[in-house]
Amino acid sequence: MRRRQFLKMSCVLGAGVALCGLGVDLVPIEAWADEIKKIDRLKTARQTMSVCCYCSVGCGLICATDEKTGKIINIEGDPEHPVSEGSLCAKGAGIFQTTEANEHRLTKVLYRAPNSDKWEEKNWDWAIDRIARLMKEERDKSFITKNAAGQVVNRVETLAHMGSSNLDNEECWSITAWARSLGLVYIDHQARV
Amino acid sequence: MADGKSILVDVSRCTGCRGCQVACKQWNGLPGTKTKQTGTYQNPPDFSHQTFKVVRFEDGRTKDGKTYWHFFSDMCRHCMNPPCLAGAQGDEMIHDDATGAVVYTEGTSKSDFEMSLSVCPYNIPRQDPDTKVMRKCTMCFDRITSGLTPACVLSCPTGAMVFGERDAMLAEAKRRVDILKKTWPKAQALNADDVRVIFIVTDDPLKYHKYAAGV
Amino acid sequence: MTNHWIDIQHSDCILIQGSNAAENHPISFKWVMRAKERGAKLIHVDPRFTRTSSKADFYAPLRSGTDIAFLGGMIKYIIDNNKIFHDYVVNYTNAPFLVDGKFGFKDGLFSGYDADKRGYDKSTWTYQKDAGGIILRDETLKNPRCVYQLLKAHYARYDLKKVSSITGTPEKDLKTVYEMFSSTGTKDRAGTVMYALGQTHHTVGVQNIRALAIVQLLLGNIGVCGGGVNALRGEPNVQGSTDHALLYHYLPGYLSAPRASQQTLESYIKKITPATTEAKSVNWQSNYGKYAVSLLKSWYGDAATKDNEFGYAWVPKAEDGKDYSVMTLFDVMYAGKIRGMTVFGQNPACSIPNSNKVRAAFAKLDWMVHLNIFDNETASFWKGPGMDPAKVKTEVFLLPASASVEKAGSQTNSGRWIQWRYEATKAPGDCIYAGEAIIRIQNKLKELYQKEGGTFPDPILNMTSDGLAEKGGYDAEKVAKLINGYFLADVEIGGKQYKKGDCVPSFALLQADGSTSSGNWICAGSFAQDGKNLMQRRGKADPTGLGLYPEWSFAWPVNRRVLYNRASCDPSGKPYNPKRAVLEWKDGKWVGDVPDGAPPPLAAEGGKLPFIMKPDGVSSLFGPGLGDGPFPEHYEPLESPLAKNLMSTQQNNPAILLYNSDKDMVASADARFPIVMTTYSSTEHWCTGAFTRWQTWLTEAMPQAYVEMSEELAKEKGIKNGDKVRVESARGKLECVAMVTPRFRPFLVNGKTLHQVGMPYNYGWRFPEGNGDSANLLTPTVGDANAMTPEYKAFMVNVVKV
Repeated sequence: MRRRQFLKMSCVLGAGVALCGLGVDLVPIEAWADEIKKIDRLKTARQTMSVCCYCSVGCGLICATDEKTGKIINIEGDPEHPVSEGSLCAKGAGIFQTTEANEHRLTKVLYRAPNSDKWEEKNWDWAIDRIARLMKEERDKSFITKNAAGQVVNRVETLAHMGSSNLDNEECWSITAWARSLGLVYIDHQARV
Repeated sequence: MADGKSILVDVSRCTGCRGCQVACKQWNGLPGTKTKQTGTYQNPPDFSHQTFKVVRFEDGRTKDGKTYWHFFSDMCRHCMNPPCLAGAQGDEMIHDDATGAVVYTEGTSKSDFEMSLSVCPYNIPRQDPDTKVMRKCTMCFDRITSGLTPACVLSCPTGAMVFGERDAMLAEAKRRVDILKKTWPKAQALNADDVRVIFIVTDDPLKYHKYAAGV
Repeated sequence: MTNHWIDIQHSDCILIQGSNAAENHPISFKWVMRAKERGAKLIHVDPRFTRTSSKADFYAPLRSGTDIAFLGGMIKYIIDNNKIFHDYVVNYTNAPFLVDGKFGFKDGLFSGYDADKRGYDKSTWTYQKDAGGIILRDETLKNPRCVYQLLKAHYARYDLKKVSSITGTPEKDLKTVYEMFSSTGTKDRAGTVMYALGQTHHTVGVQNIRALAIVQLLLGNIGVCGGGVNALRGEPNVQGSTDHALLYHYLPGYLSAPRASQQTLESYIKKITPATTEAKSVNWQSNYGKYAVSLLKSWYGDAATKDNEFGYAWVPKAEDGKDYSVMTLFDVMYAGKIRGMTVFGQNPACSIPNSNKVRAAFAKLDWMVHLNIFDNETASFWKGPGMDPAKVKTEVFLLPASASVEKAGSQTNSGRWIQWRYEATKAPGDCIYAGEAIIRIQNKLKELYQKEGGTFPDPILNMTSDGLAEKGGYDAEKVAKLINGYFLADVEIGGKQYKKGDCVPSFALLQADGSTSSGNWICAGSFAQDGKNLMQRRGKADPTGLGLYPEWSFAWPVNRRVLYNRASCDPSGKPYNPKRAVLEWKDGKWVGDVPDGAPPPLAAEGGKLPFIMKPDGVSSLFGPGLGDGPFPEHYEPLESPLAKNLMSTQQNNPAILLYNSDKDMVASADARFPIVMTTYSSTEHWCTGAFTRWQTWLTEAMPQAYVEMSEELAKEKGIKNGDKVRVESARGKLECVAMVTPRFRPFLVNGKTLHQVGMPYNYGWRFPEGNGDSANLLTPTVGDANAMTPEYKAFMVNVVKV
């Protein structure tokens, strides 16, 4: 066995050069080369702050977006965050698997027709048109202007909304505003759960 | 000599949150393997060429009937004198002068894996069945040589894992064991002189894992 | 939380009850361990020995559903052993108030119960007043009708023997917990309570928390550094989503939702603004009219005028006294009365009780719009187990959403810190923000109503566009500013000038005359007057040294980090504990955290009481505002192992709502289901697993559903660790892996051995294959009398080897 001074990563860019210089026929296999690449890509990546999407501690995240591909290549804790100080539990540490890197991410609008056994791909315009149409039809049909006691109530009881505590404040507020503007009373979400 | 780096793993503070287990996967781009629920929180059951960090769970009752649950965030000890280097055929296993990290390169496809595994007191080295490359914890060598902490240490919420200069870690280990002994007389740092990754336990090492204190 | 995460480190004794913080809020344990390093003791009370218990200095087991018995015993202990923080109790609680002579309690029921209505006439739950309407008091706390004596009498019944018999907690363990925690009743020691869904998920959920609050008030632990009643909220932004009222029963900022009987804005404002005769009470809720009008202005902009009551008629009015919460929603849907549903970022097919009922209910919808980042059991309900797609007519839209790291916007943690996040990258494919999706739907509806007319288009057409981007899409920062609020005209208030369009820097400046708009008054101040987004701040200054970090993000309200903090000082404004002073009255002003109420301390000139959100300015030991009683009382869960409640003949909470669809079977004290069951989560999975079951690093760690049971129960049933078993309730069944563990022990309840088991609800049939299905197939459709939080945590099952 031989001890050897391992050269600084930045010098090893270009894979294998310095190591080969020591007489070892080193073929940089994908994973190893990726490992070198990752730390170097990290050094030139755009760092963005985010907040963990799981429990309510609200741990700080640093997302590294590769300057060449525009994709997120690393997500880890933010050591500057006063509550989390860089820490993350299993879920937070794994947030990378909620990104595009996860092949299961929904990326297309899907539609299931009545009685169908499968999803079909649609586009947003089609979906929004249809959804708004369905909402309007039901609201127009079932709107209750006055209750049995003759009081003005201006509500709809055949439409319901749920969710979400997984959305940002501004989205939650927008949904509340929308739901009320339609006259919904069946409104709920995870806060009760 | 008290040079290079060390990691302290103080199980008395560990809550088994598995941030470290997942952070290792995330940093190293390792896949999540297919596992089964066999009646334990521990999964995967052991190290593999795709799992460098395993949090081990052991629950039980003491002689006085008190329940306990031990968490042992197992990893390569990065020995001061790594026996696994005996399996090296050339320079493919790196024992870094500056940090003391023991790093297997792709060249370990030519190493004597069986030899390295058999001499490792902690049962650490694993081999990719396809490429024959040997795999284990790298002490996040790429991170620590770039001024970052190892991914597992960064994720740890309770200070169960700490990274730093070896003499500082040895001093911290002693400080913690002295305090812990007041509540747990069996508290000890395991093989602190022989390893860079120093585990502090509060109970009989075998209660955590067969190889917790080495064979 | 009344306090915040970092504050936990300052506690001398941490009681975690109804929470498994180490597993479900793991990073909170950073601060728990720091407290321990300083000598704090950690107590964990839980049916099961968990990762939290492993770090506790003392662990006490208790049967699921018996927290009030446990805490009632603690209240008795504190009073009997004179552990109360006397000055605090006399000055800052309603302990001295004299209660109406007609108020009473007998055999499990308070005065005024109507069995037909399943509710209370609360007119006797009131105070004795003098001719001027001022509440009568006895500062010596000796008058038998004073709250303190009534409290004492009520909990005199919760002696150690009785409590142990109900909870299954050994008497010596009860005593140890009571001793340890009540040691924080002194000036120099602070105790904190960390609780979560282990308290709320019961038919007595709100009263569970009331019991915790009573304990903390008796010990003087509210408003102090290292103290508090700290709810560890369960979702990343459930604090924010609650603040912004994705709930039927109130509007943004906790303004009660208007009901049919409030036909005018004036009658509505009258209802939501309490009056008080207490001269020293700030009674901040008296300002609610300003916030209601400002909210209406944020929704309807210029269309909201004084002449049309600011659009009040456009706000839907729910029926008085009727429930529209989630279990009722699904009950009504199951009865075929809901035609269309939008479900954003939630998985009710696995998260709402009685999954068989919920999943069948979905099939009755004409259409469902689901939005998420992955597919799940809700969006795909039509192809779930037992479903024949050919027979399900529901149109389903599955909209692809941006994930959290692909979005800019704010998120509020449990400590009320509103933190801003940024887009690390654009979302893949056709994904858009959930906010963008709802705006597109809203814009389309507006267009349709403009073109075609229709029923009552006014609220839709008049919805403001102020929050929209220039091209009409979703703009997070613009919405955030709308939420914060604006001045709608130049104005001078208190000698300061504000221009039209300036952000409102504090809700104290909001008006009831339509000159201000604010989407949520509690968020006012999240932007500075000049438009700077304070939620984006990353300042690390810590002037008090207590870890308040006033320049990191923005905490509502008005960046106050510890609520009720004026109660941490004596009536002269001197901190009870100068070593951990979150606030101090010095040279005529408050120094430290943002004071909870600007007025001087009680004893100073112009001084006010510290609980500014309570009409009478003091905190409530006697709490007449709730629907099931002014004092918490132990009732058995709907499904109980006991045929008879040991505390009274009132078996269950007398004010809970009961459902009776053909899927709402209940089996209490039933030999078929003799085992108590609870449900929970795990560190590695998130709620129903709708996000996390698609992630291999997490499914690797926790691959399949399991039920945790004691070695003793397993032996009785012939079950070995790792065996396949079936868990059954009156409502459903599922198969999973048996986890036989010493961390569960049988209880001795009412002299008999009682077993309890537990399951996480992290699994669902959709993915990955073979992982299991939801524990909610087993849970009952019943919830808390006040909040309708479902009783997920205590019901009855049987377990058999498969």
